[in-house]
Amino acid sequence: MANVTFRNVHKAFGTYVALENLDLDIRDGEFVALLGPSGCGKSTTLRMLAGLDFPTRGEILIGDRVVNDLAPGKRDIAMVFQSYALYPHMTVGENIGYPLKKRGIKGRAREEAVQKAAALLQLEPLLDRKPKQLSGGQQQRVALGRALVREPQVFLLDEPLSNLDAKLRSYMRAELIELHRRLGKTMVYVTHDQLEAMTMASRIAVMHAGLVQQFDTPDAIYNRPANRFVAGFIGTPPMNQIEGAVDGGDFVVAGHRIPIDRTAFVDSLRDGPAVLGVRPEAITIATGEGLPATVRLAENTGHETIVTLELPDHSRIAARVEAARRLDVGHNVALRFDPAAIHLFEATENGARLNRDETPASVIPMRSK
Amino acid sequence: MKLLRPVLLNVITWALVLLISFPLIWMIVTSIKPQTELFRIPPTWLPETVTFEHYWRLLSETSFLLYFRNSVVLATTTTLFVVALGTLGAYSLVRFTYRGRETLAMLVLFTYLLPSVVLIIPLYLMMVSLGLSNTLFSLILAHTTFALPYALWLLRSFMEGIPEDLENAALVDGASRMGAFRDVIFPQLLPGIISTALFTFILSWNEYLYALVLVNSEAVAPLTTGVMSMLISAFNIEWSLLMAASVMMSIPLIVVFAFLQSYLTSGFGAGGVKG
Ligand SMILES: Nc1ncnc2c1ncn2[C@@H]1O[C@H](COP(=O)(O)OP(=O)(O)OP(=O)(O)O)[C@@H](O)[C@H]1O
Ligand SMILES: [Mg+2]
Repeated sequence: MANVTFRNVHKAFGTYVALENLDLDIRDGEFVALLGPSGCGKSTTLRMLAGLDFPTRGEILIGDRVVNDLAPGKRDIAMVFQSYALYPHMTVGENIGYPLKKRGIKGRAREEAVQKAAALLQLEPLLDRKPKQLSGGQQQRVALGRALVREPQVFLLDEPLSNLDAKLRSYMRAELIELHRRLGKTMVYVTHDQLEAMTMASRIAVMHAGLVQQFDTPDAIYNRPANRFVAGFIGTPPMNQIEGAVDGGDFVVAGHRIPIDRTAFVDSLRDGPAVLGVRPEAITIATGEGLPATVRLAENTGHETIVTLELPDHSRIAARVEAARRLDVGHNVALRFDPAAIHLFEATENGARLNRDETPASVIPMRSK
Repeated sequence: MKLLRPVLLNVITWALVLLISFPLIWMIVTSIKPQTELFRIPPTWLPETVTFEHYWRLLSETSFLLYFRNSVVLATTTTLFVVALGTLGAYSLVRFTYRGRETLAMLVLFTYLLPSVVLIIPLYLMMVSLGLSNTLFSLILAHTTFALPYALWLLRSFMEGIPEDLENAALVDGASRMGAFRDVIFPQLLPGIISTALFTFILSWNEYLYALVLVNSEAVAPLTTGVMSMLISAFNIEWSLLMAASVMMSIPLIVVFAFLQSYLTSGFGAGGVKG
């Protein structure tokens, strides 16, 4: 049993608070991604789980055991470091074999395990090289190999694919998913790439400024973002946020009214300032009835077009339309929003979402890049 | 014109090399000249007859070998002490955070700034009260105290160049702290350790002042003071023997250098970490 629990963990470096009130409950065998912008505390979380940093307060458990005072080597974990941390004086083979050596695995057993890991990562021709003689992507694969050569209780991966080219990255993504399915081990995966998080993890902890903003399935993160940060972080382009006010059955933007269904939102929703959230794919661009807007930019990526639109209050939003659609810059259009896909947030800086969550989400399909 | 530049450069370079190495060459030449040829004017550049009698006399008739042994013991032990203490100290200064760490590092360097003449009398009195006066061990202690500050700083800067994650990775991979040190830190630190060892060995091997003050019995005198008091008296300087002794004294340094130099330049170092 290797579920991982963070109980009210705080971490401060001097006076700088890196993590606050961290509560995570990772189930045995689960693949969890820690997702967030640079500096939000992802690596710190992982390092505390590895025993390389110590919480200022709170408890960390692996299985049923509080590991706060347990040495890294005794936690039965393997880790890929963001900096790779390959041993420069050892060959690739020796690097990968080192965790086995330290656990008393000798001779053929070790050799075979190293061969297997090397084969998985396409490293066989490089086994006799030193890390210095490898490219960044090759070094990263060696770091991965050193973690995958064992079968520990928990795998900790700190941006393990960040330096690979697109093709190798998607190959490795598939390999890791497959490996996780085969081994059934708990994996904690740090990334700032939402595509990686969305496609690999069973649950994602979205972090920002030392706080977990939302810990949920990819589907829930995408369709029911807990607050404005998550809404603005997930999706490419992310969810549009339009400032305005709730007035009876309408949301008012610069004098224009967008009808909303008040029963879809929490009872505490009052008239007054709020933020309307809508995904680019839930916007229909038409003429006639609707929120007036001006086309400012149309970017055709080949299979779709991302249109930047200027609203009457001069704020800009993005809409997604099919690639064939011709939209001329400077044209005036009218926007309609899919009523089922409208989110409301409190008007504060990182306002909470005000939708009722029993009505499970809109039916927007998840999109990949 | 094109040809002149490199030729000129070569000539100048070789002139400089000759100038700098002249005392060394003269030392060797003198040590193999017969006594009669020594003070001839004009001097003979190359000895007319080559003789090794001075070396023979040095080894068979004087206490040279005893001093030599003392020096070897002294320099080697000092080097071992300094490297061991310096490595541990540097590790502590770099890896652990505690109150007054920076102050401590500064303080260590501060002692290095004091001229050794200032320290020598207190040190002598201390050795006497410890009952160590006139022992080789007192010299080992003295040399260790004055080589250690510099060694600590040298090793500290080498240690700072080793990414902490390297050690962390070893810890996660199941190594103990000692194991991580042996498997990962030590090989990375080796160039630093060798530089420190070289520096300390040479310092200790050539040291004169402490040896003169702290030790005055022939049995424990190192080469520097031993040879001086043996061959230089108020009335007479035994030039041939002195030169032969000087050549013999340089040999260990040359050997140590030749042996360690390849380590210094061979391919240790970076590459473990991204960027
Ligand atoms: N040893 C340290 N001393 C002081 N501050 C630190 C230390 N380690 C991390 N921090 C700070 O804590 C915050 C979180 O750092 P962390 O490395 O966890 O970020 P991250 O989410 O992994 O970012 P990235 O995506 O850039 O790797 C950062 O603001 C960082 O400056
Ligand atoms: Mg990080």
